[in-house]
Amino acid sequence: MATYSLNLAHLYGDLLNTYGDVGNILALKYYANQMDAELTTTVISIEESFDPDKFDIAFFGGGQDYEQMIVSKDIQTKKDGIEKFINDDKPMLAICGGYQLLGHYYIGAHGEKINGIGVLDHYTLSQDNNRFIGDITIKNEQTGELYHGFENHNGRTFIGKSEQPLGDVVSGHGNNGEDQKEGAIYKQTYCSYFHGPILTRNGELAKRMLLKALHNKYPDADFTNQEQLEIKPTF
Amino acid sequence: MSIRSTVAAAAGKSSYWFLHTFLHGGSSLPGKITTAIDPNILNAFGKKYDVVIITGTNGKTLTTALSVRVLQQKYDSVLTNPTGSNMEQGIVTTFITAHKSKRGKTLAILEVDEANVVKVTKYITPIAFVFTNLFRDQMDRYGEIYTTYDKILAGVKLAPDATIIANGDEQIFNSRELPNPIIYYGFNHELAKDVKAPANTDGLLCPKCNHILHYGFITYANLGDYFCPHCGFRRPTLNYQVNKLIAQTPTSSTFEIDHHEFTVQIGGLYNVYNALAAYALGRFLDVSAEQIQTAFAADKKVFGRQEVIDVDGKKVTLILVKNPVGLNQVLDMILTDKDPFSFVALLNANYADGIDTSWIWDGNFEKLQQHDIPAFMTGGERYKDITFRLKVAGVDDPVIEPDLTKAIDKIKDLPTEKVYILATYTAVLQLRKQLADKGYIKEGMEA
Repeated sequence: MATYSLNLAHLYGDLLNTYGDVGNILALKYYANQMDAELTTTVISIEESFDPDKFDIAFFGGGQDYEQMIVSKDIQTKKDGIEKFINDDKPMLAICGGYQLLGHYYIGAHGEKINGIGVLDHYTLSQDNNRFIGDITIKNEQTGELYHGFENHNGRTFIGKSEQPLGDVVSGHGNNGEDQKEGAIYKQTYCSYFHGPILTRNGELAKRMLLKALHNKYPDADFTNQEQLEIKPTF
Repeated sequence: MSIRSTVAAAAGKSSYWFLHTFLHGGSSLPGKITTAIDPNILNAFGKKYDVVIITGTNGKTLTTALSVRVLQQKYDSVLTNPTGSNMEQGIVTTFITAHKSKRGKTLAILEVDEANVVKVTKYITPIAFVFTNLFRDQMDRYGEIYTTYDKILAGVKLAPDATIIANGDEQIFNSRELPNPIIYYGFNHELAKDVKAPANTDGLLCPKCNHILHYGFITYANLGDYFCPHCGFRRPTLNYQVNKLIAQTPTSSTFEIDHHEFTVQIGGLYNVYNALAAYALGRFLDVSAEQIQTAFAADKKVFGRQEVIDVDGKKVTLILVKNPVGLNQVLDMILTDKDPFSFVALLNANYADGIDTSWIWDGNFEKLQQHDIPAFMTGGERYKDITFRLKVAGVDDPVIEPDLTKAIDKIKDLPTEKVYILATYTAVLQLRKQLADKGYIKEGMEA
């Protein structure tokens, strides 16, 4: 039995689950295990309520256009809960469609404007007959960490002033192919277009999210050992 | 045939002879030459053949191979395209290199890539379509399942009288109103309960009301006896059904369709679906259940995407994997093996493999813990990705060999007599080349 336990909310995990994004949860479990913590996953789907106080960490992946459109409608009913979760400084990872839906809106495959919840200050445009596809490397200026991933997106996302990029593009396209930024960080919410998946290739990020979740939940515990966990390169 | 078509076919045919004889190849170039001279060449062929088109994400090759065998019970000759030549040019090549039939129309059973269905039906009106399934495929190359289905339907639209023989357990094939006559096949081997699919499954929305589908039972992935508790949408009545699964091993499956017992010499539940599709097509074309039993029982190997190779006494099974659903089905299949085996996973990320390796995380490698597997090995250009995937699934110290030219020696050192190798497309090709160079197999891609 692990000493600590963490509850993960997998937002719309039965509808938004493309590109092996579930690997992020597997990576979180894997590293949580090494940090003496057990991670329990609950899928929160359409027509189900999201209680932010029941969860310590969240994952919000991307999906097919059709499913994302359905989620766009449903997520409006969960806006307050997600907003509280994020503003409570709880760690969340949002990939691709999840990233877009936390922002103001994105433009769908047929040019239609699809609403996000606008909790984060970014918006997403489309591009005609083109996708940003390929390996990508970025560098986070604050930590100096390099992140490796695979991008595959039509959307061109522009982040707001309250957000930091997840990293500066070293090679690849990034958020929009223009400003050389990739992803977004707002409080403890990490957004990215990275597949690969991001946490299986970049364990440091998984470790950071888990530590934050542990400190939030167990403010008086000593996590020195957990902080010293060595993340071996996997890519 | 018009003069132009005849000239075109002759030019294509001689180029095939040249390529085949001197270069040991030639499946799409002759088609290119022929269509360059006569773009409407397929039209001319279409008049000489009754054509059946088999399409879908997984199972095209095996369904086609079994269907040919079934229909050979009734027809003197059945034309089909060689594995992999399922795009427009390969299909043209198939027709121009066919032996001429003396009497009337011949049957042609064609495996056609999803996006190429319309390129064929533009010229040829088939008598039937067979739909296997639609799964998430290599997403850097293909779109989403709805887009893929639209592409298939663009082809179907040109043949509104052709009968569709569709997998009834796949909800997307029941999502549109079509003018075509439709026959459904599926499974009815379990008592219906009320279950939901695991979260990491594709295509779970009710096409009528966009709520999450429930199932009486699930066979695999999102296939099964689906129903929508919200609006009442449900699986259509099945015309042909597997009513019992009797025995499954990695190399054989025994089951009942419509209460007739069948055995095919290939493992995997997904291949039972392929046999069922071939059965449905056979029955549609008036082949009897008894004839189909004979066809399935024929002691001939059916090549799907796997082959067994003897490597100095080791029984090495090489299996092509290309997408998560196929991968999970292969894992299920090899876990039916009662003997100890070693497990090898080879991952490349070239265009033909899919350049995005994320999909391996949708594979349920955690299942391997159910089996006592003495040795694991990983390799290929993306050995780091697959090694970490296995590590997360509980496999600690696999033998790692990035260089596939050295892989065979490592495989020989594995402690078990049986070895299963799961490999992506170019990894299969590279390994087969090594096996051929060392004399374990003949050159050329069988699967």
